[in-house]
Amino acid sequence: MVTKEGSPRHLLEQRRSSRSSGRGYAAVLWTAAIFFVVILAAIIEGIVSQSTNAFGHFGFGFLWSTAFNTVTNQYGAGPFIIGTLVITAIAMIIAVPVGLATASFLTEMCPRRIATPLGVGIDLIAAVPSIVVGLWGLYVMQPVFLRDVEPFMQKIPVVKLLFKGVAEGPSLFLAGFVLSIMILPTMVALTRTALAGVGTLDREAAFALGATPWQVIRKIVVPGANSGILAAATLALGRAVGETIAVTLLIGNVTRITHPFSLLNPGATLGSIIVLNFGESGQLPLLKSTLFALAVVLLIITIIVNVGGRLIVRKNRQFRLP
Amino acid sequence: MSTDLLEAPAPSGKDPVAAERRQLIQAAARGTLKRRRTVALGIRILFGTCMILTLVPLVALVGYVSKRGVGALSVAFFTHTPTPEGIPGGGISNAIVGSLLINGLALVIAMPIGLLVALFLIERRGPVANVIRFGADVLTGIPSILIGLFAYAIIVAHTHFSAYSASVALAVLMLPIMIRGDEEAMRTIPNELWEAGLALGARQSRVVRSVVVRGAIPGLVTANLLALARAVGETAPLLFTAIGSQLFSLSFNQPMNAIPIVIYQDGTTAFKDLQSDAWGAAFVLMAGVLVLSIIGRTFAARLTRKSR
Repeated sequence: MVTKEGSPRHLLEQRRSSRSSGRGYAAVLWTAAIFFVVILAAIIEGIVSQSTNAFGHFGFGFLWSTAFNTVTNQYGAGPFIIGTLVITAIAMIIAVPVGLATASFLTEMCPRRIATPLGVGIDLIAAVPSIVVGLWGLYVMQPVFLRDVEPFMQKIPVVKLLFKGVAEGPSLFLAGFVLSIMILPTMVALTRTALAGVGTLDREAAFALGATPWQVIRKIVVPGANSGILAAATLALGRAVGETIAVTLLIGNVTRITHPFSLLNPGATLGSIIVLNFGESGQLPLLKSTLFALAVVLLIITIIVNVGGRLIVRKNRQFRLP
Repeated sequence: MSTDLLEAPAPSGKDPVAAERRQLIQAAARGTLKRRRTVALGIRILFGTCMILTLVPLVALVGYVSKRGVGALSVAFFTHTPTPEGIPGGGISNAIVGSLLINGLALVIAMPIGLLVALFLIERRGPVANVIRFGADVLTGIPSILIGLFAYAIIVAHTHFSAYSASVALAVLMLPIMIRGDEEAMRTIPNELWEAGLALGARQSRVVRSVVVRGAIPGLVTANLLALARAVGETAPLLFTAIGSQLFSLSFNQPMNAIPIVIYQDGTTAFKDLQSDAWGAAFVLMAGVLVLSIIGRTFAARLTRKSR
């Protein structure tokens, strides 16, 4: 059937035939989407493919071997996995309670006209680059730790068992402490979002029953934001594990586990050892492959942590994370 | 207020047992109230202290870097290339230009991809969209050092150290922030506007261009600025890609200097003049990142005010 020129039906058919450009638009979107998925896959593939040499050479014993010798070409990940775990633990032990307390104070215990600028300030400072924090840690915190903080820790009962020996400058404790400063803004910002997601009515009901602010926090807000707080801690953990450049400047980068164990010892993390040895790995293919194998370990840890954190967030959609 | 309630007189009931019981309860409540208030006060002080503990190092950090950094600035600092230790008059002009070029190219690569993927997330539902959203969230948490190694593995390992490989690494770092930020910004455009556009007979792509993207510009600017602010300060990816240089270079195919590299390399030397350069560079970098973040946030604030 031939339609008349200019009739509504004709216009409609014209519009339909112009769908081809609509199809072009859809194709562009699909291309972009698939390209992004390809990038995700390529990140894993690119890092893993460079590491196969080392994994093939050392097998799974690589994960706990403590050898790191560029002369005999023996390498293992043991000291760096332990170093990463130790300083991450220090950072989390400091940052989680302090961050939770700070976030509670900002959302529940202080007037909004103070809380808002403080919150924005903390968010902004979270943007200060890692390398700047590292430089500051190296020139300001390290002398302070050597002179005051570390001798002080050696005087506290029980805690002093972790601080045996003599501090020489770079140490696990210093790196972990500065790391806690770096993840605190993340922890505070995410926890605030979680706490703010608890309904105002719940709070008011509790206050109406005569609860004090502390009781409201303990019995209403924190239980209500439970999974949000857990997610915040998990994502902060992810940041701590992967934080590299500031830690490299502060941890001392020794490639062995020093005995007896002490937080005053220098150490190395997965990230710091990669950064430090990458330059000289040009002539040593096995060392380079080893560094990529360490990157694979780091990749697996951070993927597990971040997927875990995001899954917790997914389950509770009442709040959104940045 | 609650104290007044507790001390309110008993209702005019004549039952002496009820009145007695009532007084008992009031006394008990008064006791716990005092205790609960003391505890609450203690906790408030404790939490306030924690907040101060959070702020002190952060403020000290910004203050100290500013103090040391401003002292290191001079005209030559911005206009000259680096000199070896002991020779005065050196600057970091090549690093400043390098950072601008590397990040500029990264932005040019990441911005269109980010926008298109965000549009995809808005237009389609289903498993692919979910995978992308989740992938972007997880990618945000992947350490930058791994992204740098990725760029090394796919580009530098087959060619040589170059500025464009650094741009690729930084573009990958920017992408997830842009995707999620752009998506959120475009979601603020009400459905009615989409429908109005379509009802006028405009094609989907036309509606997106003229209504959705245009309407969401403040949010898009915010997302892109915040992504840029994150990428500018990254050091680890640059060490495997652009690697740094003492020369002034404008070629993307050659190694290039960048501000974070200057801080990392000069900050760890034993020479006072190079250390001073590192502080100057740290201040310039910090100020740049903070300015980007502040501009980004003001755009976001304007957006939320408008949509109200």
